[in-house]
Amino acid sequence: MLLKGKNAVITGCLQGIGKATLETFSNNGSNVWACALAPTDEFETFCQQLAIKNNVWIKPIYFDLLDQEQIKAALKQIASDKMPIHALVNIAGMTKDAIFHMIPMYQMKMIFEVNFFSQMYITQFVTKIMIRQKFGSVINISSISALDGSYGQLSYSASKAALIGATRTLSAELAEKGIRVNALAPGVIATDMNKIVPENIISEHIKKMSIKRLGRPDEVSKAILFLASDLSAYVTGQVIRIDGGIK
Amino acid sequence: MMEERLLEGKNAIVTGCARGIGNSIVEILAENGANIWACARKQTEEFEAKLLILSSKNHVEIKPVYFDLTDKDQMKIAIKSIKSEKKNVDILVNNAGITYNALFQMSTIDKINEVFDVNFISPFLFTQYVVKLMLKNKSGSIINISSSAALDGNSGRAVYGASKAALLCATKSLAAELGDQGIRANIIAPGITKTDMLSSMTEKVINETVMNTDMKRVGEPLDIANTVLFLASDLSSYITGQVLRVDGGM
Repeated sequence: MLLKGKNAVITGCLQGIGKATLETFSNNGSNVWACALAPTDEFETFCQQLAIKNNVWIKPIYFDLLDQEQIKAALKQIASDKMPIHALVNIAGMTKDAIFHMIPMYQMKMIFEVNFFSQMYITQFVTKIMIRQKFGSVINISSISALDGSYGQLSYSASKAALIGATRTLSAELAEKGIRVNALAPGVIATDMNKIVPENIISEHIKKMSIKRLGRPDEVSKAILFLASDLSAYVTGQVIRIDGGIK
Repeated sequence: MMEERLLEGKNAIVTGCARGIGNSIVEILAENGANIWACARKQTEEFEAKLLILSSKNHVEIKPVYFDLTDKDQMKIAIKSIKSEKKNVDILVNNAGITYNALFQMSTIDKINEVFDVNFISPFLFTQYVVKLMLKNKSGSIINISSSAALDGNSGRAVYGASKAALLCATKSLAAELGDQGIRANIIAPGITKTDMLSSMTEKVINETVMNTDMKRVGEPLDIANTVLFLASDLSSYITGQVLRVDGGM
């Protein structure tokens, strides 16, 4: 129960790493504003059952990361609860793979909008609250592609690299206010986002790993748990690779 | 309700347990349910009393193991005694080390040899022995305590930083070699941490370093120990070959 009685905002909760993080946080006693694109019966039921099981509250919050008005309304809704926010986890993201010369500019801008600008907008809003309360932990989900490059993923990797720059700068600006800011760089994780990757490319990736398998969303969520909890009280401005040791 | 502890029933070897960061590591691992072989150089009543209290408080077994890191025969005997207990070894924390501050041009060959012996060769050999034990049950987590000096190359830290960089590099190779056998290996690079080692630095250097951290404070041994806990536990099951800086943002 590393987050007992804490409150967290998590984006991208509908599936993959976000869903696993919602689960791990609530299993560890945290209440969650669970942000997702749009309501589904399955998601609502999932949130309800998880909340009952762990004796916490989980509030689904819906908005489209491409719509700033929707984001603003959602954030106001969160603020109106007038509760402290201990952790913000920026997970929501998207990719459209194409080799560099084939990327339409509107598409690159869209990916930056979702993966970077909207995260910054949310972070501005939430850290204002964190500065007032003088504590908080922000965790940005970047990617190893931001550090290593990734064939056919220019928009994605560059937007995720932007998150790393923001993480380091924000750490320097906010540490004195009691707020830590870190990033995780997951490798190849078994999520829907990677389901579209051809099998031969996946096995090429696995060959380069020290741990010869894909990562699981729950494994990423546990590293997020570490960064959100007091176990990492003196860790800030860092980028932690969770990639099974890719060479 | 009894909460489940992160290292319930696991067995850990920790070196350099008498003071500072090692002392904190033993405390945190014990609180989280691990049985510990607590290695130190010298037997003292104070140390043994502390281990007894920790072990009864947390209902875990803690055994003191004594050897001098520079004495390879003593190390072998220590390993044999651990091995003779026929228990799984799940966690190894190479924490023991010595510090040395000297400008590059002023560093003596005797000191270079001594620092490399304690900070690099000894943990290297010790890990070779322990990995053999870990391979029997095909699982384990190795955590080596390096230093931010290994990454940053600060003035006056040529020998110390290089010895810790050597350890760091060896750990990465180890991770690559053992990943498919269920053994993970990671490195912690503490920044400036409140231990006896700090007394080797002048007040001026300490203040300057603190001003260069985002958090504007020195780290506590507990901060390092909690990161050891993360890397020792299944919370980090997909993390290997990594360096985690625990430095308040330098």
